[in-house]
Amino acid sequence: MKSGNKDDPRKTDGSLNSLDRRLNQTLKSVQGLLKVPGKILLSRKGTEPAAPSSSASSENPLRKDIDDEAGTGPRNSGVQSASTSKVDAPRSNGSNRSDGVVENERPSSSPSGSTGSGKGSSADSSRPSTGGRATDSARVARFRKELSSPAVNLDALRELAWSGVPPDMRPTVWRLLVGYAPPNADRREAVLERKRQEYVDCIPQYYDISDADRTEDERTMLRQISVDAPRTVPDVPFFQHPEMQASLIRVLYVWAIRHPASGYVQGINDLATPFIIVFLSEYLEGNMENWDIAKLTPEIVNNYEADCYWCLSKLLDGVQDHYTFAQPGIQRLVFKLKELVRRIDEPVSTHIEQQGLEFLQFAFRWFNCLLIREIPFSLVARLWDTYLSEGDSFPEYLVYVCASFLLTWSDQLQQLDFQEMVLFIQHLPTKNWTHQELEMVLSRAFMWRVMFQQAPSHLSSG
Amino acid sequence: MAYRSDDDYDYLFKVVLIGDSGVGKSNLLSRFTRNEFSLESKSTIGVEFATRSINVDSKLIKAQIWDTAGQERYRAITSAYYRGAVGALLVYDITRHVTFENVERWLKELKDHTDAHIVVMLVGNKSDLRHLRAVSTDDGQAFSEKEGLFFMETSALESTNVENAFKQILTQIYRVVSKKALDVGEDPSAGPGKGQTITVGNKDEVTATKKVGCCSA
Repeated sequence: MKSGNKDDPRKTDGSLNSLDRRLNQTLKSVQGLLKVPGKILLSRKGTEPAAPSSSASSENPLRKDIDDEAGTGPRNSGVQSASTSKVDAPRSNGSNRSDGVVENERPSSSPSGSTGSGKGSSADSSRPSTGGRATDSARVARFRKELSSPAVNLDALRELAWSGVPPDMRPTVWRLLVGYAPPNADRREAVLERKRQEYVDCIPQYYDISDADRTEDERTMLRQISVDAPRTVPDVPFFQHPEMQASLIRVLYVWAIRHPASGYVQGINDLATPFIIVFLSEYLEGNMENWDIAKLTPEIVNNYEADCYWCLSKLLDGVQDHYTFAQPGIQRLVFKLKELVRRIDEPVSTHIEQQGLEFLQFAFRWFNCLLIREIPFSLVARLWDTYLSEGDSFPEYLVYVCASFLLTWSDQLQQLDFQEMVLFIQHLPTKNWTHQELEMVLSRAFMWRVMFQQAPSHLSSG
Repeated sequence: MAYRSDDDYDYLFKVVLIGDSGVGKSNLLSRFTRNEFSLESKSTIGVEFATRSINVDSKLIKAQIWDTAGQERYRAITSAYYRGAVGALLVYDITRHVTFENVERWLKELKDHTDAHIVVMLVGNKSDLRHLRAVSTDDGQAFSEKEGLFFMETSALESTNVENAFKQILTQIYRVVSKKALDVGEDPSAGPGKGQTITVGNKDEVTATKKVGCCSA
């Protein structure tokens, strides 16, 4: 659907400019991540720039440039190869694509949508270091300012946090982002204390009881959780500590008992892990490998577990039907992903279809575990920064993230037959990924969302 | 390509691995296809997949094996993958009796979602944990005879009987398929036409496929 609002006066208003600016910054940052020369043009309809340097002038200049830049980027082969072929690839829905240029008329920030690599990122977009943005001193100062406010402005915090949160601020920021800690500083401690106590009270009530007092379903669930606990991030030894295992089981079991519509579903154990490491980082110093949870007092264990429990609950509240019977939420997102990929990259989409590969076969795990299984564990906290900043828009954004993730390997996929594709996608080569590759995926997802939200018929189904 | 597969085979059989969570399905698969075992494996979410080719009666049989998540909540998703399977390894853990008790439910799953001629083998895994055994070999054997299943105890960790289990089920499938081919008036030694699907299945399902030459199926 065309926006059909070329002359819409709203396009010149402040909020629009602000969106434009943010998108420009996102683009710059994508460009920065790829370390490529040249500039990414971004225009509104009516001020469309002369065709960018090379061919394919009929295409949306935005797309074209990004493709080019990605394609020529010397950095990491995964990302680089993601787009090389797309420059010349035939495109579907060319007419829609021009809408992608950012004359977006929606209010400048959907709850989430806000930010891309938000303000302040342009300066450091060229930083080569991993997670450079999260530790940029100007950004850190802005986080501090925001957090020290008597009433934290959550929209501003989301915008900042979307691009990465400095590790030492993560616990505080995450508690705020998910709506567990109140923005009002005066009330914060009291609320946290009350909620922590609520969790602690659940333990004797639900967990520390004899098996005879559990229902058959509860026994089955506890058994399942106990089978999965030792298989949670098994490659990180810290998670194998008996106390850590017990802690994880308690959090998951209490969550499951209090969410009977879904109960515990395999993979939810994975989703608890970013919260565990972040909230433990308030009490344990240094490298996680050397952490010893046995050193913590029972009170600290209670507090950190309660924080994990509540934040996990808040995260899962937004995707509840991912885990109910037949997992309709996931099925719906998989369908949307398939549609989106078809819009963005028809050659890959066609290839996947011709080979008989169902999106459900690989994307199910992606949605079920929110991609946590697909990237190195060291990056999941960074991934969570963006997820939690998305708020209510998170499930929708996740579809774009998965599309962006998949199309990182657009080229390779087209060389593979059915079986090769399945095997390749089961173990995508992300082992050596750093923040840069991850942020590339996130930024591109952000950009695509801005482009495609202008054309709702692209994703009308579901 | 790292995963470039050997495309030269006579038959392609789809086999599913099912059974309760944590019984060792994924490790049986990795032991058979890559000769690997991991104490640090994660739970399977949805389905995963691997292949290996073996020789049976001088025919090259390629097994396409689908490993499924064990938790009940995933049945709706995983049962879609049963379609077109010509073999199933139904796995339980000899140290956890409940996983053996659930075998009947798994059999019902198979009956509901697969062809009646599917070859099923009951597999009691973790036979290396002798001191923790909770299901006797006799019980496993007796149950299998009653239900008309093949039976084997394995240890993916010690690599005991894993190869045998897969070989036996693939051989049985081959026999069933050859017999079917005969039943429909074809000489298995001459072989049906290129890429012909022998057993039932949907058009896009890879089930038991006989290939001639090196063309892609």
